[in-house]
Amino acid sequence: MPPRSEQADRELELARAEADLLGHRYLGPEHLVLGVLRDGASGASQVLGSFGVTLTSARAELGRLADRGVVPGPRPSDAELLGALGIDLDAVRRDTEQAFGFRAVGEATWRVTRRRSWRGGRVVWTPLCGPPFLAKHAVQLASEQARALGHREVQPEHLLLGVLEDARQSAAATRGSRRHRQIIAHVGLPDGYLGATGLLLAALGVDLDRLRDAVAVELGGIRP
Amino acid sequence: MGEAAASSEVTQVAAATSSQDPEVGLAAVAALRGLVEVLEALQVENARAKGWSWRQIAARLGVTKQAVHHKYAGRRFGLRR
Repeated sequence: MPPRSEQADRELELARAEADLLGHRYLGPEHLVLGVLRDGASGASQVLGSFGVTLTSARAELGRLADRGVVPGPRPSDAELLGALGIDLDAVRRDTEQAFGFRAVGEATWRVTRRRSWRGGRVVWTPLCGPPFLAKHAVQLASEQARALGHREVQPEHLLLGVLEDARQSAAATRGSRRHRQIIAHVGLPDGYLGATGLLLAALGVDLDRLRDAVAVELGGIRP
Repeated sequence: MGEAAASSEVTQVAAATSSQDPEVGLAAVAALRGLVEVLEALQVENARAKGWSWRQIAARLGVTKQAVHHKYAGRRFGLRR
């Protein structure tokens, strides 16, 4: 699979920042759209702009979706919750990683969240994991798009294509895996959530198929 | 929606927490439980790697040796890797 370009990486970081601003404790494909818009320097954001989608309007629309209960409203982060109990999450993370190593902490986190329930002490998510990354499928589809087109790097346009493809596929899917459902309940998303991009763009008056075609045309101009 | 407004709202929610508001109090407990489970797993794994027996580990955790074995036994926590 081709690696992400610097710009695509930056837009992923901006998506994370946007999720934080909204008080969302997960990173979904809808935040990727916001990340692309916030960067504003890529062809992908220009295509979105030509459809009349701006960062301001997309943020406002996501806020309205939160009022409708499609996505959660602002929630305190794990660090804030533990801070209220007098625990400094960053200090705990730093100390344990120093004592046991970065890798060991990550592996323990992985094992604990996937432990069989009959062993006891089952937790879906831990504060040491960071927010759940629910845009994984969209990002994977973006790499597949880039590879199918023979491009050497995943550009923001591929990311947007991946997000759109993810929205199309999840509209056909009925529900995610058991673990997916546990995680979305943990971050306050409604049952049956598989990404809110489709609803977000529809509410902004964008036709998904026409947007996909426009992004594909934009990609035609990129040298492999 | 202002960026500053959204984030300050969130911090206010967290600041006003204690145990009064169930919405925040319960979420804080869940976060704490997640943290505890990881720390316990790290400590048990470390103790096993240093050759501690299940009985010794269980005594420090305040549970029976069967309980800690039931929860952590497996290839990863065995004495021989």
